[in-house]
Amino acid sequence: MWFTSVFLKTLRDYRIAIFGWGLGLGLLMFTVLSAVSSLVATPEARASLVSLAGSFAWIAEPVKVDTAGGYATWKYGFTILVMALWPILAGSRMLRGEEEGGSLNVLLSLPRSRSRVALQKLAAMWAALLGMALLIGLLTYGAGRGVSANFGLDGALLFGLNLALISGVFGSLALFVSQFTQERRTASGITGGLLALFIVVDMIHRVIPGTDWLSRLSPVYYYNLSKPLIPSYGTDPVALLVMAVLSVLLSGAAIWLFARRDVGAPVALPRWLSLPRRAPRPEAALPVNAWSLRSIYTRSLARMAVPTFWWTVVIAGFAAWMVFIVEQTEKQLRSLYESSPILKDLINKVGGGDITTNASLLSFLFVFLPVLLMAFAVTQASRWAADEEDGLHELVLATPQPRLKVLLMRFGALTTATVIIGVVTLALTALAAAVSGLALDGGNLVAATLSMIPLGLLIAAVGYLLSGWLRTAVDTGLLSFLLVAWFVITFIGPELNFPGAVMRLSPFYYYGTPLVNGLPLGDMLLVLAVAVVALALASLRFVRKDIGR
Amino acid sequence: MAAIIETRGLTKRYGAARGIDDVTFDVSEGEVFGFLGPNGAGKTTTIRVLMALLRADAGTAQIAGLDCWQQSVEIKRLVGYLPGELALDSNLTGGQILEYFGHLRGGVDQTYLKRLIDRLGLDPTRKFRQYSSGNKRKIGIVQAFMHRPRLLILDEPTNGLDPLNQQEFDRMVREVRDDGRTVLLSSHILTEVEQTCDRVAIIREGRLVRVGGVAELKDIKRHDVTITFAGTAPSDAFKALDGVDQVEALPDGRTLRLVVSGGLDGVIKAAAQHPIVTLTSQEPSLEDIFLRYYEGDGQTAGSQAAKEASKEASHVVH
Repeated sequence: MWFTSVFLKTLRDYRIAIFGWGLGLGLLMFTVLSAVSSLVATPEARASLVSLAGSFAWIAEPVKVDTAGGYATWKYGFTILVMALWPILAGSRMLRGEEEGGSLNVLLSLPRSRSRVALQKLAAMWAALLGMALLIGLLTYGAGRGVSANFGLDGALLFGLNLALISGVFGSLALFVSQFTQERRTASGITGGLLALFIVVDMIHRVIPGTDWLSRLSPVYYYNLSKPLIPSYGTDPVALLVMAVLSVLLSGAAIWLFARRDVGAPVALPRWLSLPRRAPRPEAALPVNAWSLRSIYTRSLARMAVPTFWWTVVIAGFAAWMVFIVEQTEKQLRSLYESSPILKDLINKVGGGDITTNASLLSFLFVFLPVLLMAFAVTQASRWAADEEDGLHELVLATPQPRLKVLLMRFGALTTATVIIGVVTLALTALAAAVSGLALDGGNLVAATLSMIPLGLLIAAVGYLLSGWLRTAVDTGLLSFLLVAWFVITFIGPELNFPGAVMRLSPFYYYGTPLVNGLPLGDMLLVLAVAVVALALASLRFVRKDIGR
Repeated sequence: MAAIIETRGLTKRYGAARGIDDVTFDVSEGEVFGFLGPNGAGKTTTIRVLMALLRADAGTAQIAGLDCWQQSVEIKRLVGYLPGELALDSNLTGGQILEYFGHLRGGVDQTYLKRLIDRLGLDPTRKFRQYSSGNKRKIGIVQAFMHRPRLLILDEPTNGLDPLNQQEFDRMVREVRDDGRTVLLSSHILTEVEQTCDRVAIIREGRLVRVGGVAELKDIKRHDVTITFAGTAPSDAFKALDGVDQVEALPDGRTLRLVVSGGLDGVIKAAAQHPIVTLTSQEPSLEDIFLRYYEGDGQTAGSQAAKEASKEASHVVH
């Protein structure tokens, strides 16, 4: 059945994404809705929450945040738009990705028009988005029932639909952009950037009065016009229509262009729009004399440069932003946390001190830094595994380079990247502390930012080790699962009174609370030792294994 | 001439799937050695074991007296390798790729490198992903040749090359041989092997079925002889002759098709006893020999068609 049409085959390809994203985001809503009752347990807590939400209006317009639906809508304001990442990837891969891989040539050799093939693929993307929306809606409804929320099934499903529509806009945008790019990665990168830009453009009118006209240029603005989880606010059908029409226009234009351009080539731009091309001079092509081509280490470093830059922006930016806002929102946060026994307990346990100090609040937030760094390390370990699967190791290993050296040089480049991220994070947080006037212990700040490096190296070494046996997808899946499991142990374990032995299974336990209590040197050395052992085993495996695709 | 490659009982299995089994052959220094076999026969597995990308389950493989697994780094200083499926960083230009691999090999002669690029008509300024499959192959060939290795191991090197570049490649291989260096190349293109190689190994289902000189293999005395008589074909006169493996009378009643091993002397003498219209003897091409080893592999129809197409009459007697 699944191979009887392009639509069904594509939908089949999306099956894991539908359940992964649908259940993942649905459970996220479930979690946030479950926490509402503890946040509004007392009138003081309710007032603090409303006040705090007002300070964070840039996240989302705070409407009835003391209700379950209002809190969830505000809390996940723009972060729920992470769902748009999937259609961005799917939209850029839909045609351009298949052109790169060559599979579209075969598909287009069948007696079907290009437009029909593209339409069926597009329909599959929309079916997947609606499937995700249904799962998110049902889980949101279920969670709402659990806390006696005042929104019904229709509201929960409309919440999912609103999310699917805005995600579909970005999927269609990615499909449109991919008509002008040679590679799918470029299209997804550009559209991802546009997503971030549109989020900021939408934010502007909530921060600067009188800038509604500017925010209307962002599709995200129309997403935020509907708040189906707040019955008194409701859904704006015109806004839904605007998003639907935008999607149709973008994907219609993309398919129109696709039907008229060369397969494998981007849409030809008018000369005045194209970048000037230099005539190739083969005789001058060699030697290139690029620093990155001198060794496996420098080449690996160059390949990691772009992702390292963006992860640095995210991690260091997050850390600096937290330092900056913790001073400004100290009173509201403290009041909120003090009135919520669950949060108070969590901060005491995870943050490493009582909540009367900024450092404790910040320390609680800083635990996210190693999580982010480890996520970066997972992507790089995954790339190492993928390189072998794609055959990229084959010619390198045909040169007189020992296998051990190949692995260690690559890991060395990853180590360098994590150190760069750590050092930049330290510099930016120190700068943010100085600018905001927040007094932090310098030594502890150094410990908090740099001691995340061993954790990144640990998960990378585990990834290298697992890649000795597992295929990329399984390796990446297992590493991601480990990361989530460790995160859950650290953040939920204290509330569930996990035994100490279980808590010690998570590397975050060894990261500790350096911003409050300084560097846990012994624990860090232990993490490093485990990382070294994992790397040694990975090396042992790599020098003995068959290199295969 | 001393052997530069020596394998003895080389065996590699992929779980239950077949790899190679008990493969033994030598390649002498200074020769061009062809490794023939259809897809999945075990050519690439053998080559990947030689390159220490796979570890043999049993047997030994040596290059220049060095163990292929234990001393692989030393071996790779001597070897230029072109894999069957070339995977390279798609964002680098051809020039960048060649420079990178040049560095990994400790530097290469830039003048020679540029000459190779020029000979194959390669534009090194384009990104790898922008190359056609033929141009990607050229990058692979250049990187294998550029450090003037003592031994070239090339897995299906001319896949995707146009005829002109195939000819240029053949010239490059001959130059390597004339220089006293060695080439091991795998192929399923028989004419390529026939034109380029001194010796050939035929591999079938993971086992070597024949190793010998190209001329030696072609000299197998098995001829297809077709005789058309003026009158009724005398089948019985040939059935009892030594070396006649098969006698087939064609429906016209005047023509016999014989399969003869060894010399043709007896057949010609017997035929001379009768009035003859034509006599055709066909010498086996390498392709005939190759296909003979694969008869019964479910390829009979294709084999027969290829056979018919490739036959060339060596003698026609009127």
